[in-house]
Amino acid sequence: MPYREKTAWLSLAAIAVTFTPYFAIVAISPRTALPDVRQLSLFAAVVISQAVILGAGHTYLALHRPQEARTPPDERDRAISTRSITAAYYVLIVGMIIVGCVMPFSSSGWKIINAAVLMIVLAELVRYGAAVLSYRQQA
Amino acid sequence: MGAPISNRIRELRFHHNEMSQAELGQRIGVTRQTIAAIESEKYSPSLEAAFRIAHVFGVQLDDVFQWNPFVSMR
Repeated sequence: MPYREKTAWLSLAAIAVTFTPYFAIVAISPRTALPDVRQLSLFAAVVISQAVILGAGHTYLALHRPQEARTPPDERDRAISTRSITAAYYVLIVGMIIVGCVMPFSSSGWKIINAAVLMIVLAELVRYGAAVLSYRQQA
Repeated sequence: MGAPISNRIRELRFHHNEMSQAELGQRIGVTRQTIAAIESEKYSPSLEAAFRIAHVFGVQLDDVFQWNPFVSMR
């Protein structure tokens, strides 16, 4: 498995492990008032957890496969990256239009913030999912 | 249906002291997995990479890659 595919799987796993519980908690006990220290703390914990998982994962991969980690992305890696970022861009732009231009007429506070976070997470899922799919199709 | 661009890389590697995919990749600046994807016609290399591959084997570009106009691109 190419090194860049491993890092894409790692990013997908980090998103799944951190943001799935976050959105489950948000859905179960929705909070809309601003400011909300509990909600902010939850979000901070999720972001820190994701950073720790990614940091540990990248360190493990770099130690396990130092040669591959040092090798810069080649033309196929760059082509896959460009294609997956392009796909994620459309998800992000549609999401931001919904969150920034539509939701303010009907929602407020943390509902809008969490919707924005959800769109960013969806865009990241599309980005890394498309990368993994491309690597699998060409394997 | 096959790919519009086919190649003879596997055969050329065999005739060059059974050169490995990793060695060819190293010589043209791509990973072993990219060479494997090119060989199995799942990835079409850039023009520069194609020329580099031909240069490694000391042959013309069309001795390595063949374009079939009757196979449509996806």
